Amino acid sequence: MSLDIYEMLALSAAVVAILMLGTSHLRLNFWLYGIHTVIVALEAWWIGGLAGHTDELFLPNIFGAIGLALPQHTVEALFFGLFKGIGVPIFLGSIVDKVKVEGDTGTLLPSALSMHLAIILLGVSYLLSAQLPVLSNDADTKIGAMAAMSLVFSGMLLMLTRRLAISQILGFLVMENGIYLFALTQTHGMPMIVEMGVLLDVLVGVMITGLLLFNIKKSFEHIDVTQLTDLRD
Amino acid sequence: MKELLILAAIPTFLIYFSLAVPKVSITRKLTPILHWSQLGLVIWMTWSVLTGQEPRITIAPGLALDRIGAYFVVLTTAIMASCVTHADYFFEQEKTSIDESSWHLRIFYACINLFLFAMTFVFLCDNLGYLWIGIETTTLSSAPLVYFDRTKNALEASWKYLIICSVGIAFALLGTVFIFAASQHGGIGNGTLTISELILRAPALSFPLLRLGFIFCLIGYGTKAGIFPLHSWLPDAYSEAPAPASAMLSAALVNCALFGIWRVVQITQATNSHSVTFELVAALGTITVVAASLFLVRQHSFKRLWAYSSIENVGLMLVAIGLGSGGLFLLQAINHSLAKAAVFLLSGNIIQGAGTKKLHGLHGIIKSSPMWGGLLALATFAITGSPPFGSFLSEIAILTASANTNHWILAMFLVFAIALSFVAICTHVGGVLFGAPKADFNAVQPLRASIVPAALICGALVLGTVVHVDFWMKLR
Repeated sequence: MSLDIYEMLALSAAVVAILMLGTSHLRLNFWLYGIHTVIVALEAWWIGGLAGHTDELFLPNIFGAIGLALPQHTVEALFFGLFKGIGVPIFLGSIVDKVKVEGDTGTLLPSALSMHLAIILLGVSYLLSAQLPVLSNDADTKIGAMAAMSLVFSGMLLMLTRRLAISQILGFLVMENGIYLFALTQTHGMPMIVEMGVLLDVLVGVMITGLLLFNIKKSFEHIDVTQLTDLRD
Repeated sequence: MKELLILAAIPTFLIYFSLAVPKVSITRKLTPILHWSQLGLVIWMTWSVLTGQEPRITIAPGLALDRIGAYFVVLTTAIMASCVTHADYFFEQEKTSIDESSWHLRIFYACINLFLFAMTFVFLCDNLGYLWIGIETTTLSSAPLVYFDRTKNALEASWKYLIICSVGIAFALLGTVFIFAASQHGGIGNGTLTISELILRAPALSFPLLRLGFIFCLIGYGTKAGIFPLHSWLPDAYSEAPAPASAMLSAALVNCALFGIWRVVQITQATNSHSVTFELVAALGTITVVAASLFLVRQHSFKRLWAYSSIENVGLMLVAIGLGSGGLFLLQAINHSLAKAAVFLLSGNIIQGAGTKKLHGLHGIIKSSPMWGGLLALATFAITGSPPFGSFLSEIAILTASANTNHWILAMFLVFAIALSFVAICTHVGGVLFGAPKADFNAVQPLRASIVPAALICGALVLGTVVHVDFWMKLR
């Protein structure tokens, strides 16, 4: 009953996400999100090394041209960790600075309760992952699938139970991490162009929502999404 | 590869042009001209596939154009060109209410071009991953279009649009991962996301994973298209966006999302078990049509009325996809796009003239402006599916197809829902057209405000009278 290092990484990412649910303090959430994304990037690097992915790609050729011989999975993990793990928390932190969120309008569910709910959903994902067919050349990818599914659930919980608009963005990002981790553990990663494209789209999405958020604060004087209910039938 | 670069050339140039040139009226006049040339370019490039001489053109690994995709590309470019032509007049009228710089309008035009390129890209995709990237890019590039007015309501609408559609498309990504895993377990070695290869090897794919992937993709792309429980962003976004943007969103964007569903359905259909696609997709489509027609009965705002009519048509197209017929899906999409674009553009004119979006504030249009009122009446008939317009033929064809495959309950619900929505829409539009005309209706009605909607309605008429349904049915 010992865990491989990639399973340990996946599970610690899931646990850090559950920790995120336990606090509604925004700076702490950003830190935890950054740590959790870097863990997922490390896992991407580790699994990439295991699987030895060598399909169509051109970025390592660019790196090779400047004298750095980096294998593909390192490049991918580097981009992911840098942009999503470090860039996004810095960007969101700057938005929060400009928006000057005073105090915390709280959550729709008490933090302890949402953490317990997330742990129950971790158990549910364990049961669900037992139903999936397993990759034939790896011993046990079930723990990775369980961690990924629990990440998706935690992301959904974050989106549904928080009042601040910025927590909705965080919840969406955690969900994306969960889906990425799922692709990683079940299929050893999708083709590189697709993953880079996904990363780019998610980053641009975060930037646009950040700008919108800034304008919401200017117009509505708050960023509480439960009060965005003017448009109704 | 060069086809992709040719298709990207005009939009990219226009993006830079819109952002760089400070005098936005030049951009407003130049964009329609270039978009119509883009349409000519697209038709010339895809001519061999359109006429059936070649079954598909391969552009690059992962990008290929088959016949239905080619028709969709032509349709999308034509709709964008028409909407942009009308937008020139619309923004000229609107100029009096924009007191800030023209920066917002320049961003609007830049996003329109990115939007056009992203949609063209979606129809070219032969790879599920690229399809996802394309559809997410269309979401991101259309959010600034919804946000154009910069009012509080527009902000709320674009926030809901962005968040709900991004979460939905994230689910579609999960579905794509499942399909990729299914291909890895199905003996395709490292797995593939290429759609044509997946269709070829479909019976060998691991079915449980494929079914899971199909369901997630349906939920995900369905959120983008506006399927019943997940449609809540749609009426808000369509009513807050300016009229040309609503026309583009409704007439071009839903086709993209449904095209994504169509590709995944093609893969699932190539396996030996059809029941999943028939029951789930067609049932979901029918539920959407019924729900939309129920919503249509009680409406208060003009553009929300047309938004719910779009949801109804999305349900009909979903039924066509669920029945497995690409030709019917294409036919309904073309008819819906032409009529819906005409309707939204005319509504934009009327709302600008009357100064209010609410239905109780709009009445007597046929006396204030006989041209717009008459065109609105024709467009309403076109969108609700009455003869002699093309949507009548497509709806009859869908009902016939569902009856031919013994889906009697579906056909019954569809007939009920279409009839209900016809009555509801005609009642509301009748309230708008007839009655005492408003005294302060803006009397400026140049002819060029009516040209584009009139041309679109003529197109719908042509499709209903001249082109025979069999032509579409043979388009597989």
